[in-house]
Amino acid sequence: MGYLFDPDNWEWLVRSNNLRFLLEGFLVNVQIALIAMVFSLIFGLALALARLSRNKLLSFVAGAWVDVWRNLPLIFVILYMAIALPTSWREAYENAAPDFLPDVLRAGRVFAGLLALVLYNSAVLAEIMRAGINSLDRGQGEAAAALGLSYRQRMRIVILPQGLRRMLPATVSQLITLNKDTTLVSIIAIQEVVRHGRILTGFNFFGGVPAPLLQVFIVVGLMFVVTNLALSRLSRRLEIREQKRTGTTVEPVSGLEDQLATVRAR
Amino acid sequence: MSSWLELLTDNFGALASGFWVTLRLVGASFALAVVLGTTVAALRIAPSVWLQRLGGVYVETFRNVPLLVLLILSYSGLRRAGVPIDPWTAGIASLGLYTAAYVAEVLRSGVFAVGRGQIEAALSLGFDQAQTLRRIVLPQAFRTVISPLGSITIAMIKNSAIVGAALAIDDILKEARVIGARTFETDAAFFWAAIGYLLLTAAATVAFRQLERRYAIRR
Repeated sequence: MGYLFDPDNWEWLVRSNNLRFLLEGFLVNVQIALIAMVFSLIFGLALALARLSRNKLLSFVAGAWVDVWRNLPLIFVILYMAIALPTSWREAYENAAPDFLPDVLRAGRVFAGLLALVLYNSAVLAEIMRAGINSLDRGQGEAAAALGLSYRQRMRIVILPQGLRRMLPATVSQLITLNKDTTLVSIIAIQEVVRHGRILTGFNFFGGVPAPLLQVFIVVGLMFVVTNLALSRLSRRLEIREQKRTGTTVEPVSGLEDQLATVRAR
Repeated sequence: MSSWLELLTDNFGALASGFWVTLRLVGASFALAVVLGTTVAALRIAPSVWLQRLGGVYVETFRNVPLLVLLILSYSGLRRAGVPIDPWTAGIASLGLYTAAYVAEVLRSGVFAVGRGQIEAALSLGFDQAQTLRRIVLPQAFRTVISPLGSITIAMIKNSAIVGAALAIDDILKEARVIGARTFETDAAFFWAAIGYLLLTAAATVAFRQLERRYAIRR
């Protein structure tokens, strides 16, 4: 305890831009999380629709794909992508990466990390979306069919808007998990907050005094706690708003990630 | 494909030992998570506001911090601070503490699913607070949360790979990396490791489904 609260061990916080260095690393995490989330949502929706498709083969393939990727450890996928992704793919990414991205995110190995994050999270999100769509009353689809809407129209006008809105809180929860998971790309040498923390606490840091490891990573942890608490507040408020608007309650979905919940009609 | 099979037969011992290490890591952390999670859930529903807050702070902290940061804190952090902790202790403690937050949340929801009338009935029959919790509420709470506990266990199996990678424990992932680096057959090595992980998660899914069928209370 004495070690933990010793002012000398907290002095690094105000020394030479250390805190700013950590925050810059954290910003990279947030950016990776946002990019991965956008692509995961798109592919997740496609996978969910494929799994719900009336074509048996397509539904089976999508189901198997989703079940495999969401049951593998994310860090396993990240490492595999980093080792096995062809160099040509990485180079293609380096050439195609838009200019507005910071330099850290334009390196080829970032593509491996993003690909792994998207593969894993799109599978999880597909499962969330499927639960949301399935939670709708059957009558909704039947009524839409009776009104003469085609399959595409039913999905686009009736089913998806309701199903996806119900899944909003769970999607925000998954964003929290994704935000935590971005620290895993540090293992393939992407310069984000964990790497920055390691640099601050390394013994060869600009020939200076290394910052104490315990304290630095407590600060890193606090950054995540603050961001994720804000996100879960948001998720909670969306949940309550949805409850007021539609009179539905929240129930956990079995077989999904830890904190996921879905809304089921009462 | 035949070379892939050959890789499996040649390295079966290493992969099996990695499998066993992962299993032990998950088993020990699960035990810790359930015990600690139950304690924290009890805090969150305790009659004192301060105890409730304490439980709340625990859950919000450990649920929102990345597991990797916990691992760095509990291993490198404590070592730098002069505490000689070994990778296994740090790994089990981190994974257990992290998962306990989820277990506590799930159990709390299970406790709230037990009707108020039952608690009032128990209290009026002369059970004290602790007895009511232990004999009436918790047994039922556990039975309503079997399915979410299964999800948590599967998440734990996956998270054990993070523990292995961060603390250099020889789990499935580590063995796959070593075999891949030695034989240059990364695809095959990772393929068999993936099968190992999928076997574990599938086994957990089936086991919890069985438990659910036998014990779950439908609400």
